[in-house]
Amino acid sequence: MEWPRTIFHVDMDAFFVSVEELYNPSLHGKPVVVGGRPDQRGVVAAASYAARKFGVHSAMPLRAAYRLCPQAVFLEGHPRWYREYSRRVYRILTRFAPAVEMASIDEAYLDLTGAGRLYGAPLRAAHDLHQAIKEETGLNCSIGVATSRMVAKVCSGQAKPNGILWVLPGCEARFLAPLDVRKIPGVGQVTAERLRELGVRKVGDLARLDEGLLRERFGKWGLALAGKARGEDAGAWFDGEIGAAEPPKSVSHEHTFDEDVAEAQALEATLVKLTEMVARRLRGHGLYARTLQIKLRYSDFSTITRAKTLPCATHVDAEMVPAVLELFRAHWKRKPVRLLGVYAQSLTPSEGQLSLLEHDKVERWQRALDAVDKLRDRFGESSVTLAAGLRGGFRERAHENPAGLPGKHGSGKDSGES
Amino acid sequence: MEFTVNRSDLVRELSLSQGVVEKKTTIPILSNVLIEASGDGLQLTATDLELAIECSCPAEVKTAGAGTLPAKRLLDYARLLPDAPIHFRFTESHWANLTCGRARTKIAGMSRESFPEVPGRPPALAEIPAAVLVKLINRTAFAVSVEESRFALNGAQLLLAPERLTMVATDGHRLALCEETGDFGAAAAHKALIPKKAMMELLKLLHDDDPEAKVEFSADENHLFFGAGRRLLVSRKLTGNFPDYERVLPAEHPNRVALSREEFRAAVERVAQFSDERSHAIRIGFSPGEVKLHASLSDTGSTEETLPAVYDGPEVQVGFNAQYIMDFLRAVGEGEEVLFLFRDSNSAGELRPAEGDGLSYRYIVMPMRI
Repeated sequence: MEWPRTIFHVDMDAFFVSVEELYNPSLHGKPVVVGGRPDQRGVVAAASYAARKFGVHSAMPLRAAYRLCPQAVFLEGHPRWYREYSRRVYRILTRFAPAVEMASIDEAYLDLTGAGRLYGAPLRAAHDLHQAIKEETGLNCSIGVATSRMVAKVCSGQAKPNGILWVLPGCEARFLAPLDVRKIPGVGQVTAERLRELGVRKVGDLARLDEGLLRERFGKWGLALAGKARGEDAGAWFDGEIGAAEPPKSVSHEHTFDEDVAEAQALEATLVKLTEMVARRLRGHGLYARTLQIKLRYSDFSTITRAKTLPCATHVDAEMVPAVLELFRAHWKRKPVRLLGVYAQSLTPSEGQLSLLEHDKVERWQRALDAVDKLRDRFGESSVTLAAGLRGGFRERAHENPAGLPGKHGSGKDSGES
Repeated sequence: MEFTVNRSDLVRELSLSQGVVEKKTTIPILSNVLIEASGDGLQLTATDLELAIECSCPAEVKTAGAGTLPAKRLLDYARLLPDAPIHFRFTESHWANLTCGRARTKIAGMSRESFPEVPGRPPALAEIPAAVLVKLINRTAFAVSVEESRFALNGAQLLLAPERLTMVATDGHRLALCEETGDFGAAAAHKALIPKKAMMELLKLLHDDDPEAKVEFSADENHLFFGAGRRLLVSRKLTGNFPDYERVLPAEHPNRVALSREEFRAAVERVAQFSDERSHAIRIGFSPGEVKLHASLSDTGSTEETLPAVYDGPEVQVGFNAQYIMDFLRAVGEGEEVLFLFRDSNSAGELRPAEGDGLSYRYIVMPMRI
């Protein structure tokens, strides 16, 4: 049996919580929230199914989660464990399919088009994959199988928890029609609100809408919406082939302080640490940045961003840190800061113009950093840091987009938060 | 104050100082030119507090004195007057009454008291032929950094030694060094950073001078003085440490190739049309008997040109910013040939005129990784 375009979307069930349970089986079945202590700032990175029953969901402030479910076990999380299990899952996935793209730490797309001879029926293949992941990692996942990435993703969502769902080719629109428009990836609160004004609640309503009207109301995004309603991959990165998308257009890292900080030295140390993390990601992608930007959010949530273009593109910490600190010193208003961010932009795959005056120094740094990165790969991100960043040492918080996901591209951004 | 001056003299000298007249009106007096009449001439002074230019011209002085007038307005107006003597009479209230031919004009001025004091000129440290100074500036000024944050690179370094005069500029990517040997009357070595703007204004002052003219150079703790006949440019010194450039001057290059200056220039200019707008990256390939220039833009097109060249070294491909190469080829002067010296795609290359005109000229340029 030959398969038409066949996409698997593999989504780990409550990934962070499930990994925590592997290390601490007593958590099993309890409401668990990963992200930090309930009195900390920051958001929920993951919640167990038991916690979700109380209305806790990811991206919700920790304090709000605590109000909904005070009896939950709140954990800081262990990013290293999650990366390790993500790698294990990835290794299993690559055994199954040649084209694997990790969309985040706990979900992946597989292109199994034309793999019928190997696996027989798609459902059979999905079942085997599901078994293999359970046996080799002890983790549950849900798998969506469809002719497009978009429908496969919706499918895995509908199959949760611990299920498999296959939408037969040709039945995509019928499968989507009764679902809420917000099930479509990319449709958030704002779009849903505007669609409701047009009387659209279900995907089926959307599919019946005139494309001209959608285009008029939503521009290019409207056409993508129409395509999505029919079950096609349309718009943004859903257009691309798995594992063949564009490199990121920016790389960034942000940190929210548990308590607002007004001390220059502490803020600068944090910026150094964030810059190191951004530089590390740039090197991981093999990219060089020409523009650096900082983001400052004060206690009152007023936020500024300021950018600087460098004389030479770089991904060397020692080159980036002075520029970042210069921006900070020029623009910080000496008020307490809630959040700091460092962004690298104007990314190029080659260094471009070399420096005449600093060339030898940059070369030496480059060699040192190659060694440092290898150590970090083996012993963790905090094994080596710049001296100035030591004081800014904060625990990396759990989030879904850490550095160096295999085959991860496409959102045009590579951002992290801590 | 009352005097009569020739319109063409006034226009010529006034236009020399326009570059330092403040265009914005944050400090109104800086938009004005200071006019001082005494003996048989006028002295005209303009300043933006970084630079000051003093010029003078003959005039028939009836009553000596001083006053200030808006420099741009005065020049724009005087340009339109017939070529005849202009009579100036300043009133107590700082107005100037002009008479020229049938025109009767009043221009509002400001008191000379509020005009900034130009620092006094110390004794000369050296006497430099104007022609030499012009060459030094023309061959280095383009390499001065335009990035404001690297302020020590926002000018060229002037090195005065008893037996030679050196000017060197770099923006961190390339470096231009021009040197003239000779006795310029310097008793001791002297080092100073000249802001780029001072270099460009100096070129204007020296523009119409005769080839024999000399420039008297002097300096105090914060200022540099260039006196050229009846004209004087005073510049604030740039502060900061100019990098130790001798460290980056290549001691030797294993490879060298001679190229026709004009052919090379024309080819680089053409090939650069297909280089990235921002990086201007082109590839130069050296192989026995020829030099190949190549550039490509993924969605626009690509081009390649081959120049015959006397070269028998190894095959080397190096990326360069075409703009940097063009800057040198425009500044190098009229010689037939230029020399391209290099090691590999990772080391600084060097351009030089093949046959000098007495001055030593080295241009070091760092490659690009494309």
